[in-house]
Amino acid sequence: MNRRAFLGIAAAAASAPALAACTVSGSSNSSGGASDPIKFWDQPWGSPAYNDLAKKVTDGYQPPAGTGKASYQVIPWNNFYQTYASAIASGTGPAVSTGGGFQPFQFAAQGAIAYADDLLETWKKDGFYDDFLPGLLDANKTDNGYAGVPWQLDARILWVNQKLLEKAGVEAPTDLDSLLAAGRALKKIGVFGFGTGTGAGNNLGSHTMVAMMIMNGGGLFDPDGKPDCVTDRNIESMDFIRQLAREGIIDPACISYTTDNLNAQWASGKVATGFHTAGLQSQAAAVKDDLVVNSPLAGPHGDKAALHFVNSVMMYAKTPSQQASEAFLTYYLKNIHQYWDAALINGVPVLKSITASDAFTKNPAQVKIVKEYTPISTTYAARGTKLTAGLAAVDGGQALTQFAQTMLQGKTDSKAALTTLQSGIEEAVK
Amino acid sequence: MTMSSTSLATGLRRALSGAGAAGPGRPPLQTRNTRPSRGAATMLALVAPSVVLLVLINAYPLVVAASQSLHKGSLIITGQFTGLENYTDVLTRPAFWKAAWFTVVFTLVGVFGSWLVGLGLALLLRTKIPAGGFFKVVLMLPWVVPIVVSSTAWNWLVATPDSPVPRLARSLGLGDLLFLADPTLAAITVCVFKVWVSFPFMMLMISAALASVDHNVYEAADMDGATKWQTFTRITLPMIRRSTYISWILMTIFCVNDFPTIYLLTGGGPVNATSSLVVLAYRTVFQDFQTGPGVAIAFLMTLALVVISTVLYRQIRKGETA
Amino acid sequence: MTSLEGARLSAHPERGTRGRWGRFAAILAFTAIALIPIYVTLFLSVRPGTFSAATSFLTFENFTNIFANTGVLTWLGNSLGVTLATVLISVAVAAPAGYVLSRARSKAVSAYSLLLFIVQSLPIITAIVPLFVLFAKLGLADNLIGIVIVYVGSTMSVATWMMAAYFDSIPRALEEASWMDGCSVFGSFLRIVLRNSLPGILSTAIFAFLLAWNDYLVALVFLKSSEVFTLPVGLQSFFQQNATDWGPVMAVSVVMLLPPALVFAVLNKYFSVGGIGGSLAGR
Repeated sequence: MNRRAFLGIAAAAASAPALAACTVSGSSNSSGGASDPIKFWDQPWGSPAYNDLAKKVTDGYQPPAGTGKASYQVIPWNNFYQTYASAIASGTGPAVSTGGGFQPFQFAAQGAIAYADDLLETWKKDGFYDDFLPGLLDANKTDNGYAGVPWQLDARILWVNQKLLEKAGVEAPTDLDSLLAAGRALKKIGVFGFGTGTGAGNNLGSHTMVAMMIMNGGGLFDPDGKPDCVTDRNIESMDFIRQLAREGIIDPACISYTTDNLNAQWASGKVATGFHTAGLQSQAAAVKDDLVVNSPLAGPHGDKAALHFVNSVMMYAKTPSQQASEAFLTYYLKNIHQYWDAALINGVPVLKSITASDAFTKNPAQVKIVKEYTPISTTYAARGTKLTAGLAAVDGGQALTQFAQTMLQGKTDSKAALTTLQSGIEEAVK
Repeated sequence: MTMSSTSLATGLRRALSGAGAAGPGRPPLQTRNTRPSRGAATMLALVAPSVVLLVLINAYPLVVAASQSLHKGSLIITGQFTGLENYTDVLTRPAFWKAAWFTVVFTLVGVFGSWLVGLGLALLLRTKIPAGGFFKVVLMLPWVVPIVVSSTAWNWLVATPDSPVPRLARSLGLGDLLFLADPTLAAITVCVFKVWVSFPFMMLMISAALASVDHNVYEAADMDGATKWQTFTRITLPMIRRSTYISWILMTIFCVNDFPTIYLLTGGGPVNATSSLVVLAYRTVFQDFQTGPGVAIAFLMTLALVVISTVLYRQIRKGETA
Repeated sequence: MTSLEGARLSAHPERGTRGRWGRFAAILAFTAIALIPIYVTLFLSVRPGTFSAATSFLTFENFTNIFANTGVLTWLGNSLGVTLATVLISVAVAAPAGYVLSRARSKAVSAYSLLLFIVQSLPIITAIVPLFVLFAKLGLADNLIGIVIVYVGSTMSVATWMMAAYFDSIPRALEEASWMDGCSVFGSFLRIVLRNSLPGILSTAIFAFLLAWNDYLVALVFLKSSEVFTLPVGLQSFFQQNATDWGPVMAVSVVMLLPPALVFAVLNKYFSVGGIGGSLAGR
């Protein structure tokens, strides 16, 4: 047997299993015509059942003449930025996608986004524009245009376990003092009065810190969008957190809790209050009947403000046809009510028609959130209005995570920690 | 007496010349250039596919990474050329040196911890033990099990105060141990996790090396009245010296480059306590979105690793011909 | 074989039955403790999942669920196919290269040997995006052939080295004899060297197997269509934004750990026969 035969056989032997297992390559290789399919990439926003429904919705899209149908793809949360970035860098990215809260700004800053200004103008004319809850569409406004269109809100809600509060003999907290008192009472029955986590992949802890700052009229940025963390209001809020940590009202182990660890603590009745997403009831199903959305707390100076993240659908510059992207996006947003109808999604809706729907009003927690939290909710920009690409680096970045972990350890002076945070954020938004 | 001295000498000579598994009756290893030159074209053809793959999969990203570290761009855009600015920036960050220190600790514990455990197990398993074959297979599991699976199991075991291990610690009177939340304890937990994942590899390497040692040597030592400990330290260990060094080098590379083992368990926290250089590089690129500095960190780490392994590699080669 | 047995017997001269059972107890104790995380995985796979409605303590519903309602069979098939292809191609490419490394002596070859060390040192996380962009341009992203190529490339360093190390222990005299009989270099490589290298080949094969089977970082970025998911990527679909459905995760994890464990169980005896370490010692 000569060497060529050997290599040939080796290659054949090797490719047989590969070819057997390999099916059609997912991405289209044709050189782009307007009738190419619109690639729509989505994330696991709920259980796999959500993605199944989303695929059905996508498949139900009837394209206008000359444009292609839509294809659906789920992108796992793990390393999702890497997946999007590498796809865009190689020209194999989607035409439309959902994604992280700051993703539209990140990719807009890199020139990969198709702005939605024209689309919004169309909607103003046909009235769909008015279906959006007030102020939300502007959340995506950048200097060059609207980077995306909101489709759900990721709210940070203060939840309480009613049963545990009753057991401890306290009322639902209304401000910081009552939260502290409740915490102390709960500690006596062996329950942690304030639950959060800053472990691998868990940014609820960071969000809790920012929510506490925003609640007190503070925040990470000043009205002009410049980092401004070392303010009296912030120091006040963080002193409160430090006190909770020192008194053992916060579980010291929570610094390393993943979201699953945290949900397990809620589910086993070890945690009685805490900031979480709107979907805590499904994530800590064992206690879902005991969980109640607490009305927003009043800050020490009487402010009432809350934190939320606007999740948007975005259009990319590389698309078979911008017209087709916009047509699909319009269809999609007009159909997302199906997710709330089927109760497959935990986010807060952005459309008035959904909040008024029967299916939605049946869910008291969601109704309360829309009624009491959404009107006073703001994003990281808080005092200002502009969101930027740098915020993604702030949200997921090391500075904020370490700040949250430091505060939860309860050993560092608030002002010092905030100063470190400020320089970290300044680095991030540079 | 004469017989044993001869066999001892032969055994030693053969072992020192690296006869390995060849066993008695086979001559020592290749001498220099007895290869016919007509084979040159064949040699080239034989090695060509491997070189192509090596360049494509390993060298190409290395070049791109080098370029990324010299620019201030993103994953999508190349950005502005900034020369060595990213490197000077990164080298002045305290987080970098903290990560470098942890990488050293992690690697030393990982390499020597897994080696000691693997050595003990390999020695034990070389003797006749009931169900020895079963243990040999089953003890490979920590290395073989996918890291996403084992890190989930470990998290389940130690993460919350009600998890089994903290509960056990409390019942043993050790108090409330925060295995993942306390910075020092988290570092220890991560190192122990790494040793747990790695000992089977070491056990395998050492077993194979021990098996290739000529039994005549042991017979001779036995007849000379050497104690078990003397046999072990003066004969066994030196005999497997080269294999040991090789396994140390490989494990060093595995430890320094190990991203999933640490990241899946602690995310690099708490407060960077368990961020090794590779974890720091990842976080800088994918959480802080600073591609240039992040890749610079990875590159510095790679350079250090290359220098260390080259130096050690040369040392071994030198030791061989001595 | 005999020398091996002999070595084993004489390594520890004084040994009675008591010593044997003492060692058994020691190994048993260590194994029992060291394998706790494995039991945990097996245990959690038969517990009701996060969103399960089951009330019993143990249940097999996770397994019935994943086989009936998820793509786990597709993922399993893909993983097996990719891994098998990787193993075959890796050995096929690394063996000749290792042969050159072992037999040829020149500056170029020493440089090549060092290069194998160096290119191994860049962490995969920095390499993934450039590789993806390159492969996407070649139309090889999001398909299994592309990922096999990446895996084979990733095994090249260590696989070549392992094969070279093993070949070192096969004396040249045999090949020289066959050259004198008129056999070509390649022919003697195939017929003499390779045929006697089963342990070395198996070691390399196992290494390649584990690399391809367990990888998730590369697969996550490269494979997007669910038809081409391998097991590690499929596993990710149970990780929601803020919660995980543990039942399916653990069941899929058990499915993931069985094939490598089986491979080791079956091929184990080929390792201890002085394969890797003794030969690596000569490298």
